[in-house]
Amino acid sequence: MASRIVIDPVTRIEGHAKISVFLDDHGNVSDAAFHVVEFRGFEKFCLGRPYTEMTGITPRICGICPVSHLLASAKAGDAIMAVSIPPAADKLRRLMNLGQIVQSHALSFFHLSAPDLLLGWDAPPADRNVFGLMASHRELARAGIRLRQFGQEVIEVLGGKRIHPAWAVPGGVRAPLGNEGRERLQAWLPEVFATVRATLALYRGTLPAREGESRVFGDFPSLFMGLVAPDGTWEHHGGRLRFTDAGGRIVADQIEPRDYRDVIAECAHPSSYLKSPYYRPLGPEAGMYRVGPLARLNICSRMGVPEADEELRRFRALGRGAVTSSFHYHYARLIEILAALEYIERALRDPDLGSAELRADAGINSRRGVGASEAPRGTLFHDYSVDANGLLTGVNLIVATGQNNLAMNRTVAQIARHFVTGGRITEPMLNRIEHGIRCFDPCLSCSTHAVGHMALHVTLLDADGKVRHEAWRD
Amino acid sequence: MKPGATDSWLVIGYGNTLREDDGAGPAVAEAIAERGAPGVRALACPQLSPEHAETVAAAGQVIFVDASAAGGAGIGWESLAPPAAATIDGHTLAPGTLLALARQVYGRAPPSFALTIPARRLGFGERLSPETQAGVDAAIRAILEATSRAAPENQKAIRLGQ
Repeated sequence: MASRIVIDPVTRIEGHAKISVFLDDHGNVSDAAFHVVEFRGFEKFCLGRPYTEMTGITPRICGICPVSHLLASAKAGDAIMAVSIPPAADKLRRLMNLGQIVQSHALSFFHLSAPDLLLGWDAPPADRNVFGLMASHRELARAGIRLRQFGQEVIEVLGGKRIHPAWAVPGGVRAPLGNEGRERLQAWLPEVFATVRATLALYRGTLPAREGESRVFGDFPSLFMGLVAPDGTWEHHGGRLRFTDAGGRIVADQIEPRDYRDVIAECAHPSSYLKSPYYRPLGPEAGMYRVGPLARLNICSRMGVPEADEELRRFRALGRGAVTSSFHYHYARLIEILAALEYIERALRDPDLGSAELRADAGINSRRGVGASEAPRGTLFHDYSVDANGLLTGVNLIVATGQNNLAMNRTVAQIARHFVTGGRITEPMLNRIEHGIRCFDPCLSCSTHAVGHMALHVTLLDADGKVRHEAWRD
Repeated sequence: MKPGATDSWLVIGYGNTLREDDGAGPAVAEAIAERGAPGVRALACPQLSPEHAETVAAAGQVIFVDASAAGGAGIGWESLAPPAAATIDGHTLAPGTLLALARQVYGRAPPSFALTIPARRLGFGERLSPETQAGVDAAIRAILEATSRAAPENQKAIRLGQ
């Protein structure tokens, strides 16, 4: 008798996101689907507007990764103008993106995931949160907040506002890095380095006890995709696309982001309006790929900075070829924070960041522009088409959470297979499915500030639609 | 609490300014900031997040301004306190959770209030509905009146929305 389990996060306005776990006639898990919101509304909303407004509009899509949209939008604008932006502007944009990576990863690790990782999935729900973490790891929790503040400070020093800075524009940026801001960030660096080093040491110590979770929290072969430098070094803002497989072999390399349609296609599922991107040459099944921190560390040849490179070597020991468990997104996030801090430290010594030559100017020289940047959760594409006056005739945004959709489905199915027993929804199952999603840090808050709440409603239905069991978590 | 901190007000208006009436909170905060009233700091943001805890803890009193899809005819005032059991389970925090975080990390959760403005339309767009715009105007007047008084003894009046 086939059944279906539905896990339905409650949201206020939209951002309809739910999990369906499908059981076969024998009560075994056959498949799972995680449905998330896409931004088609924003894409329609933008049509007819000047492309130059997009750097002001698209950061407001999301309160957690506005910088990612800002930078991808600015790059799409660069492409429409067909300009190479001044070197100082590129360096400044990179610095802001590093700040974004730090603040976003810090939120994901310290506030959302660390309670599970450090207190355990079976700790009482009343304790298994950041407040419980403060009781047991007070200084770590405080340091996590300070680390996120540092990332926000990088953004504010450059953009003037922590959220939605209309600072990057097509052709470059509006303002350089001032001396006062540079000195403030440099003075803060020793503290945040100490935080991430201590956290990495603590986290590495927990890994042996987490081998069981790493085997069932989305451990499967897939492709990995992201940007890399021409020599294969970790990238976060420039570079070209690379796909690698579960064995660590390069499948496709140095693909210009503007040609993403040659390698990325989307499939639709009847149960959801959400389309799932996949690597086109291999089809939806074999072409499933992951993006984000785990993917970026799997595809790169090196981080390009010494401490993070040393950590990358430890990370690589967790897999053969590629590290295939989604559980290790957490470790990858910490390594990327470390790398970002090293790159920030390097950038702050560069006198170019105070340059007055920050912006190229041009008219409409291309009717299409694609901007790609590595958002904290993965590669973000902004693809704009314009008419002769620069008014938008087409907008396509491909976000990380959508690209990870197939892998999140697979992760949830794997966890459910392991923990769904006896046709009942158990607390361990809820905890682990919740955390399986959290590994990817999907951005459900992109539509309104209220969206993103991970309240769960799980219903077990039999083939006749009769409710066999329900469980709630507010 | 630092000396002199009790006479400072923090107004945090939050919401998505691309989602029509959800932008009511930021609209109020921006208007309050433009007035430049002494002792009043206003912050507009899309959502509440952990790093706001330090700013909140340093304020004398806090007013959280948000759109509400729950219905109702006018603006609403409610006194806020940190909940006994709080958690962070998403990218955004509820005001009570932020107060709990402020108390836990920075040792202080100031007297706080939630000011809600009824939202009618939550589609894509930057314009407020006439009803919500009226709520924004009422909220601005109420905040300016409340913050112009000496703070502690007027908390009751603020709670009553007078």
